[in-house]
Amino acid sequence: MGTISSDLLRQVTAELYERSLKKIPEDTKRALAQAKAVERNQTASQTLDIMIASARAAEEENHFVCSDSGVPVYFVKVGTKVNFDGPVKQAITDGFSDLVATIQPPMLAHVTNPLTLERGYAGKDMPITTFELIDDADYVEITCSPKALGSGRWAALEIFTFPSLEDIERYVMGVVLKAGPQHCPPVVIGVGIGGTFDYAAKLAKQAMLRQIGTSNPEPVLADMEERLRQAVNATGFGPMGTGGDSTAMAVHVDYASGHGFTPVAVCFNCWINRRRSARIHPDGRVDYFE
Amino acid sequence: MKRLQAPFDENAIRSLRAGDLVVVDGDVVITAGLPTHQRLMHCLESGEAPPVELRGQALFHLGGYSQGEGERFEMLYINPTTSTRFNPYMPTLIEGFGLRVVGGKGGLDEHSVEAMRKVGCVYLSFLGGGCTLLSRAIQRVVEVGWPEMVTHYRLSRINVNGLGPAVVAIDAQGNSLYAQNAQTAGSHSGEVLAGLHAQARQEKTQLS
Repeated sequence: MGTISSDLLRQVTAELYERSLKKIPEDTKRALAQAKAVERNQTASQTLDIMIASARAAEEENHFVCSDSGVPVYFVKVGTKVNFDGPVKQAITDGFSDLVATIQPPMLAHVTNPLTLERGYAGKDMPITTFELIDDADYVEITCSPKALGSGRWAALEIFTFPSLEDIERYVMGVVLKAGPQHCPPVVIGVGIGGTFDYAAKLAKQAMLRQIGTSNPEPVLADMEERLRQAVNATGFGPMGTGGDSTAMAVHVDYASGHGFTPVAVCFNCWINRRRSARIHPDGRVDYFE
Repeated sequence: MKRLQAPFDENAIRSLRAGDLVVVDGDVVITAGLPTHQRLMHCLESGEAPPVELRGQALFHLGGYSQGEGERFEMLYINPTTSTRFNPYMPTLIEGFGLRVVGGKGGLDEHSVEAMRKVGCVYLSFLGGGCTLLSRAIQRVVEVGWPEMVTHYRLSRINVNGLGPAVVAIDAQGNSLYAQNAQTAGSHSGEVLAGLHAQARQEKTQLS
């Protein structure tokens, strides 16, 4: 059985965060270019050009795409064949502290105590980490998804009783209209249907992280994604909210069985679509992917 | 692309139209802090002078990383933050200080639009996620007000060259691109979604 070291986890935790802040994913670059190709609004078209230029500039200068580096959120999937040589949760906490201490340029303090509104770089339950198991795997997979205003503030959830697909989609559009252009569009939208209160939110967040351009294996959801994408883009909010055809680069939906009461969760990732993943193998190899 | 040069001329500002693309040159004041806005409200109420002169100036919702002390501050980077969370304060600040240019991302509500029309002020939409590009415009830090606050809350006056490009999203005639879009977004998207469902129902009937 392979052993994964705490030290390596700590390093990867920091590295993922830094990569997510400084380079937007390739699928997102392609989606912005596609949005630009079909955009009819001149201001929107110019804004998409500036977005593409901004992403390129950050990459070239090894700088932040956005100054709001957000709060650290990690999804960790652990293979059941994995052994660790030390603590795991502490390694992730230490990895984030290392990042804060060493990253250039330095990050702004965004970790906020909700009771006192004081801001710093650490706090209760930070980083926010969700663990899952992968049966029979001998590796660990970590996804970093920093959350700030555009990528976290406008999410919402409501619980319905035996909703129709139309009910669900109308609710999603209600959340979209309430968010308006506050989340720095064009965004990726994640929708989670079913399960329970907490599980629907997790489904939505994980759906949001899916690669743009991949199709949903569930035909009912693939159709729903296309309807919602068209409806969201018909709002006309456009890039940065100054009007246009591109408000969503993609809508990704996932579901879970549940009781007849059906939670529907909706979340957004701003246009820079921050996310980064890595698979850590027992021999110490690390494969980074977007 | 138009260039807005500080100090800002009221007529030049009033002649801008929603949708114009601009860059800004000269001294501008930036902050991303809610507590900063509350302190500025207190200044207006008590008659106390703010630490940085704001009359007729540009006040942008840009978060900046500044470091240093006394007269020697540097600004490592800047980037817009969400302006709508300052909606409760901005109409009073715009009128009270006679602000000539405001900006950030996400816009301001109808009360600010009215205040801007009154005093001759425009709102600039900067690119969220424009940190690297926008930071290239920073020339120097002129002064830092309330340096005891966390860096992005401070009221900092910086000198910029070619800050932008930014979109005039609310002009001084009362035109707001945000308000225009919000008015039609619900009906347009609702029609599209209802149409797609009607189409899906029709296809289902044809199949059966």
